[in-house]
Amino acid sequence: MAPLSFDVLHPASVREARDMLQGDARLVAGGTALQLEWARGLPRPARLIDLGRIPGLKGITEDAGGLRIGALSPLARLADSARVAQHLPLLQAAARSVAGPAVRNLATLGGNIAGRTGCLLPALLALDAVLEMTGRDGHFREPLSDWLARPADPTEVLKAVHLPVPDAQSRWTQRKIGLRAAFTPSVIGIAGRLACRDGTIVSARLAVGGGLVVPCRLSAIERQLVGQEVAGVDWPALRTALIAAIDAPDDAFRSARYRRMVAANALVRGLQDAGGARAAERPPGRSAQADTPATPPEIRLSRSEQASRWHVRPDMDPKVSGMLSYLTDRREAGMLVGRILRAGRPHARILSIDTRAAEALPGVAVVVTHRDIGGENAFGIVVQDQPAFCFDRVRHAGDPVAAVAAVDAATAEAALALIRVDYEDLPIVTDPEEALSDTAPAIHAGGNLQRILHFSRGDVAAGFAAAAHVVERRYETSRQMHGFMETEGGFARVEPDGTLAVFVGGQHGARDRLQLARILGRAEDTIRVVTSPTGGAFGGKDELTVQPALALLAITSGRPVRLQLSRAESVAAGIKRHPMIIRMRTASDAAGRLIAQEVDLLADAGAYASLGPGVLETALEHVAGPYVIPHVSTRGRLAYTNNGVCGAFRGFGANQMTYAIECQMDALADLCGLTPVEIRRRNLRAKGSPGFLGQTVAPSERLTDMLEAAAASPLWDGRADDDGDGDGDDDGEEMIGTGMALNYQGNGLGSLVPDPAGGRLRLRADGRIEAAYGLDEMGQGLLASIQAAVSAELGCARDDILPVIGDTALAPDSGSTSASRGGHVVWRAARLAGPDFSARLTDAAAGLLGRPADGLKLAPGGIADRRSNSGRLLLRFCDLAEALAPDARPSVTVAFDFPKTDHTAGNARYIFAFGACIVRVAVSRVTGMVRVLDIHQHTAAGPVLDVAAYLGQMEGGAIQGLGFTLTEHARMADGAYLTANLDTYMLPGIRDTARRLSVFALEGLDDGDGLGPRGAGELGIGAITPAIANAVGRAIGHTPLSLPFCPEALLDAIGARP
Amino acid sequence: MSPVAFRLDGEALSIAVPAETRLSEILRDRCLRTATKVACGIGRCGACTVMMNGEAVNACLVMAWQIEGAEIVSPEGLDAFGTARIVKAALIAENAFQCGYCAPGIVMALTALFLSHRQAGEAEILSALEGNLCRCTGYHSILRGALAAANRLRDGAAGETGDPHDANPSSL
Repeated sequence: MAPLSFDVLHPASVREARDMLQGDARLVAGGTALQLEWARGLPRPARLIDLGRIPGLKGITEDAGGLRIGALSPLARLADSARVAQHLPLLQAAARSVAGPAVRNLATLGGNIAGRTGCLLPALLALDAVLEMTGRDGHFREPLSDWLARPADPTEVLKAVHLPVPDAQSRWTQRKIGLRAAFTPSVIGIAGRLACRDGTIVSARLAVGGGLVVPCRLSAIERQLVGQEVAGVDWPALRTALIAAIDAPDDAFRSARYRRMVAANALVRGLQDAGGARAAERPPGRSAQADTPATPPEIRLSRSEQASRWHVRPDMDPKVSGMLSYLTDRREAGMLVGRILRAGRPHARILSIDTRAAEALPGVAVVVTHRDIGGENAFGIVVQDQPAFCFDRVRHAGDPVAAVAAVDAATAEAALALIRVDYEDLPIVTDPEEALSDTAPAIHAGGNLQRILHFSRGDVAAGFAAAAHVVERRYETSRQMHGFMETEGGFARVEPDGTLAVFVGGQHGARDRLQLARILGRAEDTIRVVTSPTGGAFGGKDELTVQPALALLAITSGRPVRLQLSRAESVAAGIKRHPMIIRMRTASDAAGRLIAQEVDLLADAGAYASLGPGVLETALEHVAGPYVIPHVSTRGRLAYTNNGVCGAFRGFGANQMTYAIECQMDALADLCGLTPVEIRRRNLRAKGSPGFLGQTVAPSERLTDMLEAAAASPLWDGRADDDGDGDGDDDGEEMIGTGMALNYQGNGLGSLVPDPAGGRLRLRADGRIEAAYGLDEMGQGLLASIQAAVSAELGCARDDILPVIGDTALAPDSGSTSASRGGHVVWRAARLAGPDFSARLTDAAAGLLGRPADGLKLAPGGIADRRSNSGRLLLRFCDLAEALAPDARPSVTVAFDFPKTDHTAGNARYIFAFGACIVRVAVSRVTGMVRVLDIHQHTAAGPVLDVAAYLGQMEGGAIQGLGFTLTEHARMADGAYLTANLDTYMLPGIRDTARRLSVFALEGLDDGDGLGPRGAGELGIGAITPAIANAVGRAIGHTPLSLPFCPEALLDAIGARP
Repeated sequence: MSPVAFRLDGEALSIAVPAETRLSEILRDRCLRTATKVACGIGRCGACTVMMNGEAVNACLVMAWQIEGAEIVSPEGLDAFGTARIVKAALIAENAFQCGYCAPGIVMALTALFLSHRQAGEAEILSALEGNLCRCTGYHSILRGALAAANRLRDGAAGETGDPHDANPSSL
């Protein structure tokens, strides 16, 4: 909808503001809630009454009874005021828990109160806040608790809040329980205060509120406490009474029961412990680490420890300064703005689409629908089941139906609202199990079973019959969102020569071009696709996103068009990680040796297949992890539903399955009386033995090294926590545990999928050596890796190399930037093209220098004498380039296949990367929430091309895995996302990251191993989830089997302990 | 649609836009300053952080009517602050970012912190970055860079910043 403009009035006094409060008007202070409300569809008022210019509404002053805080005081002032800190530390602590710091610079105390859902309300209630208001009849004061108890009067204006200063001896507590550690919606907030005299409670304040919880004092319990001796309080009984007294609702995220329990826990623990304040925040993410040294030949990756190998990435300065232009940043004169109309309903037949009113709107250039598609209206990397624009049916709420290009965004949005689509709603199915039942509505003509895969080996029944121990569990993983910061978008135009140029962040330009050519019905060589740089992808930009709509808008309008999805649209339309239900039954003998395993996997594809079949297959290839299991039977099913589409995501199914098998290993270890290390030692695959599917695998296996590194980890006995801060000790609130998992991640697309790659080295006119790859810089450090690999191969400097990437017009096809394959492709192309390219350069230089070519070599900056190490150049690259005719400048293009195994009975990987992850966690007895204290990642992915890039992949992968495990869940109900934006979809923030994070690499390869670097892209995420789960299991005796971990279930498990 | 007058990176501007137009849109689409990124549009990611009257704010939450008379600093204008140059250099040396989309907002949040609190250390840095999401790095590289900047500022780079009292850049 186009935003309806409103008037803003600026009264000079509170009285004037009150008098303006008629009709469709609304008071506004900081205004920070407005965008959230409007995004939720709440109406915009016709008039906003800005309180910001009224004098006297800001500021914190002391008066007779305490502090007076002006209603327009920003929350940041409450958080940083020395007066508040001195007199009202409870309020200060509460203020610091509201939103984030930049929001607190805008948001005001008055706004937090007036909405009646603010996170400050419990604290203000506990502090006996009195409101100073102007109403119909003039000025008055009213206690906050009374004001909350009556309906809001829309003609009242809040001027200030009066807060008596409590007795310094009173004990207090405050806590906001949220969905993550900070900057979170409130699940429930509490504040409590006990004033004591000579050990007797003389007054008590207990309050709850925040978010959905109606803010109120727990007066009956307060009365019971008064007169009691504080030393004699029966805290367990108080907790029980609080749980009964607190009124809180359920929502999709947390139950009412959980809210009541954690509020009671927090009040009791806070008041029982508190001599004064409970520490409001703990510092995670400490960098002043108690460093764990590497055990050679492993190295520890850090700037200080690898100083000679630490290079600043070529794109770092432009990124930090903001000067890097992303494809969604393009603005040019005459450029139209595009918008896409989404179905907004999960399953329906399209009866008609009428775009006439939209086309007639002034400023609209074109409206496109399926009728404008010249080729096949179907795409998909594996199966072409997805329409570029829906024509007969919509299958999920994010399905595109039409698109508009107009002179500006507001006009384009207005035009969308004028497109009339008549639908006939169809029954929906959103549960994958139900989708496979006979009675479910068919989402595609072939039914809802998109794919079924079976594999078996040995005699599973006999294996289970011989078992001493069997662990049978059901694991459930969540619908994780990629959450790249730059949402899908870019621009497109038709060039003067008729070429269609599409600039949209992606992961494989050549394949995007192929898919676009099919849709548009035009030859691939008439299309140029530019896919880099892009602001994060993680698999989420592997499939086509907005390219078809942008291309059609540009072609139809004949003008350049830009388009970027809003976050809400990205959530609705973008792909996610497949939610999986994994039933795994694993048997061992009494000594812990694995005998048999049965696995049944069901994955929710959503409405279309995308890369789902590949994800399913990869998950099933990883069912045994790095272990040997003689008898195996697996089944995997991928079901269509009317949910959002799922597809590629870092890990590609392997990390979901690793969660299951690595938790099974710990469970069996317990049954067998073995340590987590020992059971893994007894089952580890032997070097050189066939892979899980029976395939030949690459040399340089490092599983034993990884396991022994894990065995030696200081995290098992807490030795790493020697910083003396006591954090991470079992202090009564938190229970500590350490867990591990091994990682065994296949690289490449597999033996059955064509996996061509290539690259090109070329001397440019300016003397730089162009290294051209059809790969994409999504943040992983491709540019640095190219410079590293090519300069190392040629013997020149990193700066001599100019990476040219992500553009079908400028770089050869290198295959997709996915499946941990990019690093190997970069290295291999350099390796293959390097010798020929060097020889051509030295030949050309030899002619100019009058020296024999075999006496020359490449050196940083140019050509040098082969025997010299002085660094003296005989000829600079730029002089060489200038001396050569354009067609005489060397250029070498290579093409090759990503290394594959010969297995053809199934899609099998050849190259694997290895890792061990050890994690130490703290589980709160108050909230059931998990804090990750330490992560140690031991990795073996061959030689590290670029230390900073590799470190970044491991650290970033770890915390993306942490989010998957603890907070992230794109919840859906009835085919709609409940987490519409980043206010409810909980990406980890800086307070959620592991407190300490150490990354180690074991680089060496076996003699004769010519495969070079393995993939680092997915290694970082692979083993995080099971390591955290196993650590929680060690901490509380209960291993969570569904993601993200449910704090309520963890609390129950803690409560059930003997 | 009435004109709103404000200062952007030291330059006086007057722009006619509807009152509800967000500052993030004004910067990106009207002023063509695209270093300010938008990743959520509801004040929950920090990618659009700018300084308004010396304080970090989410540009997507600030509407045109709220910037009348305000002093806005966008990422493009940060080099006027010596403090910002030190923050950037430290983050660059540490390779603090990956995709980089969150970087301008994080540089802005850190600059605002150090301008108001030159002695800020780890605890203050963590608090100051609570509102900035990064999906790529897991935050440790950013924290290492920020701590390096904090050490540099504490170790007497005060004289280097050229930001006396650091409330306003001397060059503006």
